[in-house]
Amino acid sequence: MSGFLELEKIKRTGFWPAVFGGGILAALVPVINTAVREEVFLQQDGSALEILMNENWQMMAMLNLFFLVASACLLYHTEYADNAIQRMCTLPQKENKMFLNKFVLMCGFCLIALAIEGAGLIFSAVRWFPADEKILWNGVLNMGYAFVLLLPGTLFMLLISAACKNMWISLGIGVICVFTATMLPADHFILSLFPFAMPFQIFAGTVPAVLKNYWIAVGAECAIGCFAAVIFFKVRRLFS
Amino acid sequence: MNFISLLEVELKKIRRSGIFIILFAAAVFMWIPAIFHGDVNFKTQADIGIAPEYNFLIQGFMGLAWFMFPACMVVCTVLICQTERGNHGMLKMLSLPIKTGKLCLAKFAVLLALGACFLFFAAVVYFISAGIVSKTQSYDFMLSPIFVLKETGLIFLTSIPMVAFFWLLSVCIRTPIFAMGVGFASIVPSVLMINTKFWFVYPMAYPFFAVTNEYAKLAESMTPKRIDDVLWGSIALFVTLICVFVSCFCFGQGERR
Repeated sequence: MSGFLELEKIKRTGFWPAVFGGGILAALVPVINTAVREEVFLQQDGSALEILMNENWQMMAMLNLFFLVASACLLYHTEYADNAIQRMCTLPQKENKMFLNKFVLMCGFCLIALAIEGAGLIFSAVRWFPADEKILWNGVLNMGYAFVLLLPGTLFMLLISAACKNMWISLGIGVICVFTATMLPADHFILSLFPFAMPFQIFAGTVPAVLKNYWIAVGAECAIGCFAAVIFFKVRRLFS
Repeated sequence: MNFISLLEVELKKIRRSGIFIILFAAAVFMWIPAIFHGDVNFKTQADIGIAPEYNFLIQGFMGLAWFMFPACMVVCTVLICQTERGNHGMLKMLSLPIKTGKLCLAKFAVLLALGACFLFFAAVVYFISAGIVSKTQSYDFMLSPIFVLKETGLIFLTSIPMVAFFWLLSVCIRTPIFAMGVGFASIVPSVLMINTKFWFVYPMAYPFFAVTNEYAKLAESMTPKRIDDVLWGSIALFVTLICVFVSCFCFGQGERR
């Protein structure tokens, strides 16, 4: 029930247009890029999605991360503005639960944005590249993988915005994290496990052994994130 | 109230905001990868013929001009707007005998000051990191402060239209997620824009373009682009004036309805 409460809260924050706007903007990246540089793309080896992802995903992932940072900050800003959080704390509900609800909500929004982006990728693959029967399935796989890799980043960003009462502080930390992620070399496995660097990874053309490592890493980071959240809310409750 | 005392009031408002810590942290995080990849500078010397010490500075400043500086400016606009809108501080300001346009200008000046402060931090951290890399690579990476000052000044000057645009966004778009979202989203394509012929119509690309051009001037195998200074300057001035004027006009309109 309380999950729907979170959905109610974002009613007038402009979240819905933001997720669709962000998704469409990111989906336009491959479409415009392919339309302008058609010959360059068609000359490359590999499947259509592999080429498209290699050329565009850097930018799309960055837009996704920005969306993630801004929306996570806003989700908790609605609580901290005008001390709404104090009212929430008086309800017979744990703060952990609220955090989890917000996380689920963010996941839903990420899914919507990624679905739009996947549609953009598949559209440009179908429109400009030679026909491929498995394109739809491949698109779903790629976006599914991207979604899973977004999870730790979402979790940690929400935790940061839950920890800082001022929106600009959490936004600033988020921006620094995204910048650090863009500076990290993508082929270095340990460094690419940084939650904000993971969304830059691409499914197409990755060997299964590496994929498995990322699955494990995502699982571990999510577990750490959830554990950290539980501890953090308990400790903060003690001292507030 | 004259402009100077308004400015003082605005500066006082952000004193305890913690923004300076964020800006300093941003400047530090910007240079950390450069410290670890100190050896790359010698490789680029062989590839495109730029002296390692110049490569170290300009590569760092490219990251700054492309991403860190614009993104930090968006964060600063959020800060300035939220301190005013939180607890309806804006209503109190509007009840004072102050012209709203003047207030808006003072806030814009504070935003520019925060930008200058961030660039100052970036320059200071540059000297520290250049010192560290000089030690680790046994090569003198230190450049003359005048050159560094010139480059930072260039970034600051070319970024004024961009900052004005971000300020316009945060004043006119009252839902914070859109002001932030549009600001962030406009940073991303600047990397594409600087390679087109029409880079000068896109204010967000100015600082990055200017720094890239400086890089091309210092590298032997690259030719800097010819810049029509008059055209660029007039467009930049036009964008800045329009943005500042519109934001001064729109400032506080929502609260006065």
